[in-house]
Amino acid sequence: MKKLFMALIIVVSLFGNEFDEFNDELETKKISDPFSSYNRVMTNFNDILIMNVLKPVNKIYIGYTYIEVRRSIRKFFRNLYFPMRFVNNILQGKFYNATEETERFLINTTIGVFGLFDPAKSEFNLVAHNEDFGQTLGFYGVGAGPHIVLPLFGPSNLRDLVAFVPDTSLILIDYENRDWWTLTDSWGAFIAVKTTEEVNEYSFYETKYDRIREDAVDLYPYLRDLYEQKRDKEIKE
Amino acid sequence: MNKIFKKFLVFLSIFFLAQNLLANEKIDLEKQFTKKLDEVVLVVKDRQLTAENRNANIINLLTPMFDFKLMAKLSLGKSTWNKLTLKEQDNFIKLYVVRMKKSYSSKVDSYKNQEIEIKEVSQKKNRIRISTDIIGKDDSFEIIYKFYKPKKRKENKDIWLIYDVEIIGISILKADKAQFKEFLKTKSISQLINKLAKK
Repeated sequence: MKKLFMALIIVVSLFGNEFDEFNDELETKKISDPFSSYNRVMTNFNDILIMNVLKPVNKIYIGYTYIEVRRSIRKFFRNLYFPMRFVNNILQGKFYNATEETERFLINTTIGVFGLFDPAKSEFNLVAHNEDFGQTLGFYGVGAGPHIVLPLFGPSNLRDLVAFVPDTSLILIDYENRDWWTLTDSWGAFIAVKTTEEVNEYSFYETKYDRIREDAVDLYPYLRDLYEQKRDKEIKE
Repeated sequence: MNKIFKKFLVFLSIFFLAQNLLANEKIDLEKQFTKKLDEVVLVVKDRQLTAENRNANIINLLTPMFDFKLMAKLSLGKSTWNKLTLKEQDNFIKLYVVRMKKSYSSKVDSYKNQEIEIKEVSQKKNRIRISTDIIGKDDSFEIIYKFYKPKKRKENKDIWLIYDVEIIGISILKADKAQFKEFLKTKSISQLINKLAKK
Protein backbone atom coordinates (compact mmCIF):
# COMPACT_ATOMS: atom_id res chain seq x y z
CA MET A 1 0.00 0.00 0.00
CA LYS A 2 2.81 2.30 0.97
CA LYS A 3 4.60 1.48 -2.26
CA LEU A 4 1.53 2.20 -4.31
CA PHE A 5 1.14 5.51 -2.57
CA MET A 6 4.76 6.40 -3.27
CA ALA A 7 4.37 5.45 -6.93
CA LEU A 8 1.30 7.64 -7.11
CA ILE A 9 3.19 10.58 -5.67
CA ILE A 10 5.98 10.10 -8.18
CA VAL A 11 3.55 9.88 -11.08
CA VAL A 12 1.68 12.97 -9.95
CA SER A 13 4.86 14.94 -9.41
CA LEU A 14 6.26 13.92 -12.79
CA PHE A 15 3.04 14.90 -14.43
CA GLY A 16 2.93 18.22 -12.67
CA ASN A 17 6.54 18.94 -13.52
CA GLU A 18 5.95 18.77 -17.22
CA PHE A 19 3.96 21.97 -16.92
CA ASP A 20 5.95 23.63 -14.17
CA GLU A 21 9.18 23.08 -16.04
CA PHE A 22 7.95 25.29 -18.87
CA ASN A 23 5.89 27.69 -16.84
CA ASP A 24 8.33 30.60 -16.74
CA GLU A 25 9.22 30.32 -20.39
CA LEU A 26 5.66 30.39 -21.58
CA GLU A 27 4.50 33.19 -19.39
CA THR A 28 2.56 35.22 -21.91
CA LYS A 29 2.76 38.96 -21.57
CA LYS A 30 -0.52 40.54 -20.74
CA ILE A 31 -1.59 42.74 -23.61
CA SER A 32 -3.60 45.79 -22.69
CA ASP A 33 -6.78 45.63 -24.72
CA PRO A 34 -9.50 48.05 -23.63
CA PHE A 35 -10.70 48.46 -27.22
CA SER A 36 -11.09 44.76 -27.87
CA SER A 37 -14.63 44.96 -29.23
CA TYR A 38 -13.69 47.71 -31.67
CA ASN A 39 -10.48 45.85 -32.57
CA ARG A 40 -12.41 42.71 -33.28
CA VAL A 41 -14.77 44.52 -35.64
CA MET A 42 -11.87 46.24 -37.40
CA THR A 43 -9.97 42.96 -37.77
CA ASN A 44 -13.01 41.45 -39.47
CA PHE A 45 -13.36 44.51 -41.66
CA ASN A 46 -9.72 44.29 -42.74
CA ASP A 47 -10.05 40.58 -43.31
CA ILE A 48 -13.09 41.03 -45.53
CA LEU A 49 -11.23 43.72 -47.44
CA ILE A 50 -8.18 41.52 -47.91
CA MET A 51 -10.15 38.49 -49.00
CA ASN A 52 -12.56 40.33 -51.29
CA VAL A 53 -10.58 43.24 -52.68
CA LEU A 54 -6.86 42.78 -52.19
CA LYS A 55 -6.89 39.11 -53.14
CA PRO A 56 -8.65 39.50 -56.50
CA VAL A 57 -6.65 42.64 -57.28
CA ASN A 58 -3.47 40.78 -56.45
CA LYS A 59 -4.41 37.93 -58.75
CA ILE A 60 -4.59 40.33 -61.66
CA TYR A 61 -1.47 42.19 -60.50
CA ILE A 62 0.62 39.03 -60.26
CA GLY A 63 -0.70 37.96 -63.64
CA TYR A 64 0.65 41.08 -65.30
CA THR A 65 3.90 41.76 -63.47
CA TYR A 66 6.98 39.63 -63.38
CA ILE A 67 8.29 38.71 -59.96
CA GLU A 68 11.54 40.57 -60.73
CA VAL A 69 9.56 43.74 -61.41
CA ARG A 70 7.66 43.36 -58.16
CA ARG A 71 10.93 42.81 -56.32
CA SER A 72 12.34 46.00 -57.78
CA ILE A 73 9.25 48.01 -56.90
CA ARG A 74 9.55 46.75 -53.37
CA LYS A 75 13.22 47.69 -53.17
CA PHE A 76 12.49 51.10 -54.64
CA PHE A 77 9.95 51.84 -51.89
CA ARG A 78 12.15 50.46 -49.15
CA ASN A 79 14.96 52.73 -50.28
CA LEU A 80 12.67 55.71 -49.66
CA TYR A 81 12.41 54.73 -46.00
CA PHE A 82 16.10 55.40 -45.52
CA PRO A 83 15.81 58.68 -43.53
CA MET A 84 13.47 56.98 -41.07
CA ARG A 85 15.83 54.05 -40.55
CA PHE A 86 18.86 56.34 -40.34
CA VAL A 87 17.40 58.69 -37.72
CA ASN A 88 16.03 55.89 -35.57
CA ASN A 89 19.31 54.00 -35.64
CA ILE A 90 21.04 57.18 -34.46
CA LEU A 91 18.41 57.79 -31.76
CA GLN A 92 19.11 54.33 -30.40
CA GLY A 93 22.86 54.86 -30.48
CA LYS A 94 23.35 52.29 -33.23
CA PHE A 95 25.90 54.36 -35.10
CA TYR A 96 27.49 51.51 -36.98
CA ASN A 97 24.10 50.48 -38.36
CA ALA A 98 23.34 54.09 -39.28
CA THR A 99 26.57 54.26 -41.27
CA GLU A 100 25.76 51.01 -43.01
CA GLU A 101 22.29 52.35 -43.84
CA THR A 102 23.84 55.50 -45.33
CA GLU A 103 26.21 53.48 -47.45
CA ARG A 104 23.33 51.35 -48.63
CA PHE A 105 21.28 54.40 -49.56
CA LEU A 106 24.14 56.01 -51.50
CA ILE A 107 25.02 52.83 -53.37
CA ASN A 108 21.47 51.74 -54.12
CA THR A 109 20.29 55.17 -55.19
CA THR A 110 23.16 55.54 -57.67
CA ILE A 111 24.46 52.17 -58.86
CA GLY A 112 21.16 50.56 -57.90
CA VAL A 113 19.21 52.98 -60.14
CA PHE A 114 17.05 54.91 -57.63
CA GLY A 115 16.85 51.90 -55.39
CA LEU A 116 15.34 49.53 -57.95
CA PHE A 117 18.18 47.11 -57.27
CA ASP A 118 20.13 46.21 -54.18
CA PRO A 119 23.80 46.02 -55.14
CA ALA A 120 24.67 47.20 -51.61
CA LYS A 121 23.68 43.78 -50.36
CA SER A 122 24.61 41.60 -53.30
CA GLU A 123 27.96 43.23 -54.06
CA PHE A 124 29.04 44.89 -50.82
CA ASN A 125 27.27 42.72 -48.28
CA LEU A 126 25.69 45.69 -46.54
CA VAL A 127 22.43 44.76 -44.84
CA ALA A 128 19.44 46.90 -43.94
CA HIS A 129 18.75 47.77 -40.31
CA ASN A 130 15.09 48.33 -39.94
CA GLU A 131 14.33 50.74 -37.14
CA ASP A 132 11.30 52.94 -36.68
CA PHE A 133 10.25 55.40 -34.01
CA GLY A 134 8.04 52.83 -32.30
CA GLN A 135 11.15 50.73 -31.77
CA THR A 136 13.05 53.79 -30.58
CA LEU A 137 10.36 54.52 -27.99
CA GLY A 138 10.38 50.86 -26.96
CA PHE A 139 14.17 50.97 -26.74
CA TYR A 140 13.86 53.71 -24.12
CA GLY A 141 11.34 51.72 -22.16
CA VAL A 142 8.03 53.06 -23.45
CA GLY A 143 5.43 50.29 -23.15
CA ALA A 144 3.19 49.23 -25.99
CA GLY A 145 0.02 50.69 -24.47
CA PRO A 146 -3.39 49.47 -25.61
CA HIS A 147 -3.57 47.41 -28.76
CA ILE A 148 -5.31 49.19 -31.65
CA VAL A 149 -6.27 47.71 -34.98
CA LEU A 150 -6.11 50.30 -37.74
CA PRO A 151 -8.31 50.25 -40.79
CA LEU A 152 -6.31 48.96 -43.79
CA PHE A 153 -2.99 48.95 -41.92
CA GLY A 154 -3.94 46.26 -39.44
CA PRO A 155 -2.60 45.60 -35.93
CA SER A 156 -0.84 48.37 -34.03
CA ASN A 157 -0.72 49.82 -30.54
CA LEU A 158 -0.72 53.25 -28.98
CA ARG A 159 3.07 53.56 -28.92
CA ASP A 160 3.44 52.60 -32.58
CA LEU A 161 0.52 54.81 -33.56
CA VAL A 162 2.13 57.85 -31.94
CA ALA A 163 5.39 56.93 -33.63
CA PHE A 164 3.64 57.05 -36.98
CA VAL A 165 3.72 60.85 -36.93
CA PRO A 166 7.50 61.46 -36.77
CA ASP A 167 8.13 58.46 -39.00
CA THR A 168 5.91 59.63 -41.85
CA SER A 169 7.74 62.92 -41.98
CA LEU A 170 10.97 60.95 -42.40
CA ILE A 171 9.77 58.77 -45.24
CA LEU A 172 10.24 60.19 -48.72
CA ILE A 173 6.64 59.44 -49.60
CA ASP A 174 4.60 62.26 -48.17
CA TYR A 175 1.36 64.23 -48.43
CA GLU A 176 2.83 67.67 -47.83
CA ASN A 177 5.14 70.00 -49.69
CA ARG A 178 8.42 69.75 -47.80
CA ASP A 179 11.67 71.63 -48.04
CA TRP A 180 13.33 68.47 -49.27
CA TRP A 181 12.59 66.08 -52.10
CA THR A 182 9.77 63.63 -51.61
CA LEU A 183 8.17 61.34 -54.13
CA THR A 184 4.71 62.81 -53.53
CA ASP A 185 3.55 66.22 -52.35
CA SER A 186 -0.22 65.95 -52.22
CA TRP A 187 -2.79 63.72 -50.57
CA GLY A 188 -4.01 62.38 -53.92
CA ALA A 189 -0.57 61.31 -55.09
CA PHE A 190 0.28 60.04 -51.63
CA ILE A 191 -2.73 57.73 -51.48
CA ALA A 192 -2.15 56.48 -55.03
CA VAL A 193 1.50 55.68 -54.34
CA LYS A 194 0.77 54.14 -50.95
CA THR A 195 -1.86 51.91 -52.50
CA THR A 196 0.63 50.73 -55.11
CA GLU A 197 3.13 50.03 -52.37
CA GLU A 198 0.62 48.09 -50.29
CA VAL A 199 -0.65 46.03 -53.24
CA ASN A 200 2.91 45.23 -54.23
CA GLU A 201 3.83 44.33 -50.66
CA TYR A 202 0.77 42.12 -50.33
CA SER A 203 1.84 40.12 -53.38
CA PHE A 204 4.72 38.86 -51.22
CA TYR A 205 2.61 38.33 -48.13
CA GLU A 206 -0.42 36.64 -49.58
CA THR A 207 0.54 33.08 -48.72
CA LYS A 208 1.75 34.14 -45.31
CA TYR A 209 -1.56 35.77 -44.50
CA ASP A 210 -3.45 32.74 -45.75
CA ARG A 211 -1.42 30.51 -43.47
CA ILE A 212 -2.02 32.73 -40.46
CA ARG A 213 -5.72 32.53 -41.21
CA GLU A 214 -5.49 28.77 -41.33
CA ASP A 215 -3.62 28.56 -38.04
CA ALA A 216 -5.99 30.93 -36.29
CA VAL A 217 -8.79 29.58 -34.17
CA ASP A 218 -9.86 33.13 -33.56
CA LEU A 219 -8.27 35.62 -35.93
CA TYR A 220 -8.29 38.75 -33.80
CA PRO A 221 -6.39 37.58 -30.69
CA TYR A 222 -4.07 35.53 -32.88
CA LEU A 223 -3.05 38.50 -35.02
CA ARG A 224 -2.82 40.67 -31.93
CA ASP A 225 -0.42 38.29 -30.25
CA LEU A 226 1.68 37.79 -33.38
CA TYR A 227 2.03 41.54 -33.77
CA GLU A 228 2.97 42.25 -30.15
CA GLN A 229 5.44 39.35 -30.00
CA LYS A 230 7.06 40.49 -33.23
CA ARG A 231 7.37 44.09 -32.06
CA ASP A 232 8.86 43.02 -28.73
CA LYS A 233 11.48 41.03 -30.58
CA GLU A 234 12.27 43.91 -32.93
CA ILE A 235 12.72 46.26 -29.99
CA LYS A 236 15.03 43.84 -28.20
CA GLU A 237 17.32 43.56 -31.21
CA MET B 1 46.20 18.58 2.93
CA ASN B 2 46.77 15.82 0.46
CA LYS B 3 43.23 14.60 1.02
CA ILE B 4 41.76 17.98 0.33
CA PHE B 5 43.84 18.24 -2.76
CA LYS B 6 42.62 14.86 -3.97
CA LYS B 7 39.04 15.82 -3.31
CA PHE B 8 39.55 19.00 -5.19
CA LEU B 9 41.05 17.10 -8.09
CA VAL B 10 38.12 14.71 -8.19
CA PHE B 11 35.72 17.62 -8.09
CA LEU B 12 37.59 19.36 -10.84
CA SER B 13 37.64 16.35 -13.11
CA ILE B 14 33.92 15.78 -12.59
CA PHE B 15 33.31 19.41 -13.33
CA PHE B 16 35.22 19.25 -16.59
CA LEU B 17 33.67 15.94 -17.53
CA ALA B 18 30.23 17.47 -17.05
CA GLN B 19 31.20 20.49 -19.10
CA ASN B 20 32.51 18.20 -21.79
CA LEU B 21 29.38 16.11 -21.81
CA LEU B 22 27.27 19.22 -22.16
CA ALA B 23 29.38 20.39 -25.07
CA ASN B 24 29.05 16.99 -26.69
CA GLU B 25 25.30 17.02 -26.31
CA LYS B 26 25.21 20.31 -28.13
CA ILE B 27 27.46 19.13 -30.93
CA ASP B 28 25.60 15.84 -31.30
CA LEU B 29 22.28 17.57 -31.56
CA GLU B 30 23.60 20.05 -34.08
CA LYS B 31 24.99 17.23 -36.22
CA GLN B 32 21.76 15.33 -36.07
CA PHE B 33 19.73 18.44 -36.80
CA THR B 34 21.92 19.33 -39.81
CA LYS B 35 21.49 15.83 -41.16
CA LYS B 36 17.75 16.09 -40.75
CA LEU B 37 17.68 19.48 -42.46
CA ASP B 38 19.57 18.06 -45.43
CA GLU B 39 17.06 15.26 -45.71
CA VAL B 40 14.15 17.70 -45.52
CA VAL B 41 15.74 19.96 -48.14
CA LEU B 42 16.03 16.98 -50.49
CA VAL B 43 12.32 16.32 -50.13
CA VAL B 44 11.36 19.98 -50.50
CA LYS B 45 13.38 20.31 -53.69
CA ASP B 46 11.99 17.12 -55.18
CA ARG B 47 9.36 18.68 -57.41
CA GLN B 48 8.57 15.34 -59.02
CA LEU B 49 6.64 14.39 -55.92
CA THR B 50 3.18 15.79 -55.48
CA ALA B 51 2.70 18.41 -52.79
CA GLU B 52 0.82 15.84 -50.74
CA ASN B 53 3.63 13.32 -50.96
CA ARG B 54 6.19 15.94 -50.11
CA ASN B 55 4.22 16.99 -47.05
CA ALA B 56 3.82 13.39 -45.95
CA ASN B 57 7.56 12.81 -46.30
CA ILE B 58 8.37 15.98 -44.41
CA ILE B 59 6.05 14.95 -41.61
CA ASN B 60 7.68 11.52 -41.41
CA LEU B 61 11.10 13.08 -41.15
CA LEU B 62 10.16 15.68 -38.58
CA THR B 63 7.80 13.78 -36.30
CA PRO B 64 10.49 12.05 -34.20
CA MET B 65 12.01 15.49 -33.50
CA PHE B 66 8.87 17.17 -32.18
CA ASP B 67 7.06 16.62 -28.92
CA PHE B 68 3.65 17.51 -30.30
CA LYS B 69 1.84 16.04 -27.30
CA LEU B 70 3.68 18.28 -24.91
CA MET B 71 3.02 21.25 -27.16
CA ALA B 72 -0.68 20.46 -27.15
CA LYS B 73 -0.74 20.39 -23.36
CA LEU B 74 1.35 23.50 -22.93
CA SER B 75 -0.77 25.43 -25.41
CA LEU B 76 -3.78 24.98 -23.14
CA GLY B 77 -1.94 25.64 -19.91
CA LYS B 78 -2.00 23.66 -16.70
CA SER B 79 -5.26 24.80 -15.19
CA THR B 80 -7.30 24.34 -18.35
CA TRP B 81 -5.67 21.03 -19.12
CA ASN B 82 -6.43 19.61 -15.71
CA LYS B 83 -10.08 20.52 -16.06
CA LEU B 84 -10.51 18.38 -19.18
CA THR B 85 -11.85 14.85 -19.05
CA LEU B 86 -9.47 12.16 -20.26
CA LYS B 87 -11.47 11.82 -23.44
CA GLU B 88 -11.30 15.54 -24.11
CA GLN B 89 -7.55 15.53 -23.47
CA ASP B 90 -7.14 12.71 -25.93
CA ASN B 91 -9.26 14.40 -28.53
CA PHE B 92 -7.51 17.71 -28.12
CA ILE B 93 -4.06 16.18 -28.48
CA LYS B 94 -5.08 14.31 -31.62
CA LEU B 95 -6.49 17.40 -33.30
CA TYR B 96 -3.66 19.63 -32.21
CA VAL B 97 -1.07 17.21 -33.56
CA VAL B 98 -2.84 16.97 -36.92
CA ARG B 99 -3.04 20.74 -37.11
CA MET B 100 0.62 21.26 -36.22
CA LYS B 101 1.81 18.68 -38.69
CA LYS B 102 -0.25 20.17 -41.47
CA SER B 103 0.68 23.74 -40.72
CA TYR B 104 4.36 23.07 -40.24
CA SER B 105 4.89 20.81 -43.23
CA SER B 106 3.25 23.28 -45.61
CA LYS B 107 5.41 26.06 -44.17
CA VAL B 108 8.55 24.03 -44.67
CA ASP B 109 7.47 23.08 -48.17
CA SER B 110 7.22 26.73 -49.16
CA TYR B 111 10.93 27.30 -48.46
CA LYS B 112 11.84 25.63 -51.73
CA ASN B 113 13.97 28.47 -53.03
CA GLN B 114 15.55 29.33 -49.74
CA GLU B 115 18.74 28.38 -48.04
CA ILE B 116 18.84 27.32 -44.43
CA GLU B 117 21.85 28.21 -42.33
CA ILE B 118 22.50 27.28 -38.74
CA LYS B 119 23.49 30.48 -36.99
CA GLU B 120 23.92 29.59 -33.37
CA VAL B 121 23.46 26.71 -30.98
CA SER B 122 23.17 27.48 -27.30
CA GLN B 123 22.49 25.35 -24.27
CA LYS B 124 21.10 26.04 -20.83
CA LYS B 125 20.86 22.87 -18.74
CA ASN B 126 18.31 20.67 -20.45
CA ARG B 127 17.38 23.19 -23.10
CA ILE B 128 19.09 23.72 -26.42
CA ARG B 129 18.19 26.44 -28.88
CA ILE B 130 19.19 26.14 -32.51
CA SER B 131 18.90 29.43 -34.36
CA THR B 132 18.66 29.20 -38.12
CA ASP B 133 18.47 31.77 -40.86
CA ILE B 134 16.19 31.16 -43.78
CA ILE B 135 17.77 33.10 -46.61
CA GLY B 136 15.59 33.82 -49.59
CA LYS B 137 15.47 36.19 -52.50
CA ASP B 138 12.68 38.28 -51.03
CA ASP B 139 13.21 37.98 -47.34
CA SER B 140 15.54 36.47 -44.85
CA PHE B 141 14.29 35.57 -41.47
CA GLU B 142 15.20 33.73 -38.34
CA ILE B 143 13.69 30.52 -37.04
CA ILE B 144 14.68 29.24 -33.61
CA TYR B 145 14.07 25.62 -32.67
CA LYS B 146 13.77 25.07 -28.95
CA PHE B 147 14.67 21.60 -27.72
CA TYR B 148 14.38 20.02 -24.31
CA LYS B 149 15.54 16.70 -22.99
CA PRO B 150 12.78 14.71 -21.33
CA LYS B 151 13.75 12.91 -18.14
CA LYS B 152 12.86 9.61 -19.75
CA ARG B 153 13.28 9.06 -23.46
CA LYS B 154 9.91 8.89 -25.18
CA GLU B 155 8.84 6.07 -27.44
CA ASN B 156 9.65 6.53 -31.15
CA LYS B 157 11.20 9.88 -30.37
CA ASP B 158 14.65 11.42 -30.46
CA ILE B 159 16.57 12.15 -27.26
CA TRP B 160 16.16 15.91 -27.62
CA LEU B 161 12.73 17.10 -28.60
CA ILE B 162 11.41 20.34 -30.01
CA TYR B 163 8.75 21.91 -27.80
CA ASP B 164 8.51 25.30 -29.48
CA VAL B 165 9.49 27.08 -32.67
CA GLU B 166 10.09 30.79 -32.87
CA ILE B 167 9.59 32.40 -36.28
CA ILE B 168 10.83 36.01 -36.54
CA GLY B 169 10.52 36.27 -32.79
CA ILE B 170 7.04 34.79 -32.63
CA SER B 171 6.75 31.72 -30.47
CA ILE B 172 4.07 29.55 -32.04
CA LEU B 173 3.39 27.98 -28.70
CA LYS B 174 2.82 31.34 -27.02
CA ALA B 175 0.65 32.50 -29.91
CA ASP B 176 -1.52 29.40 -29.61
CA LYS B 177 -1.69 29.74 -25.86
CA ALA B 178 -2.89 33.31 -26.23
CA GLN B 179 -5.54 32.54 -28.81
CA PHE B 180 -6.85 29.45 -27.02
CA LYS B 181 -7.08 31.40 -23.79
CA GLU B 182 -9.04 34.15 -25.47
CA PHE B 183 -11.31 31.64 -27.20
CA LEU B 184 -12.04 29.85 -23.93
CA LYS B 185 -12.99 33.09 -22.21
CA THR B 186 -16.32 33.06 -24.00
CA LYS B 187 -16.57 29.52 -25.35
CA SER B 188 -16.24 25.98 -24.06
CA ILE B 189 -13.49 23.47 -24.62
CA SER B 190 -15.79 21.31 -26.73
CA GLN B 191 -16.35 24.30 -29.00
CA LEU B 192 -12.58 24.66 -29.31
CA ILE B 193 -12.24 20.98 -30.13
CA ASN B 194 -14.98 21.30 -32.74
CA LYS B 195 -13.30 24.31 -34.24
CA LEU B 196 -9.98 22.48 -34.53
CA ALA B 197 -11.77 19.47 -36.03
CA LYS B 198 -13.30 21.62 -38.73
CA LYS B 199 -9.97 23.12 -39.79
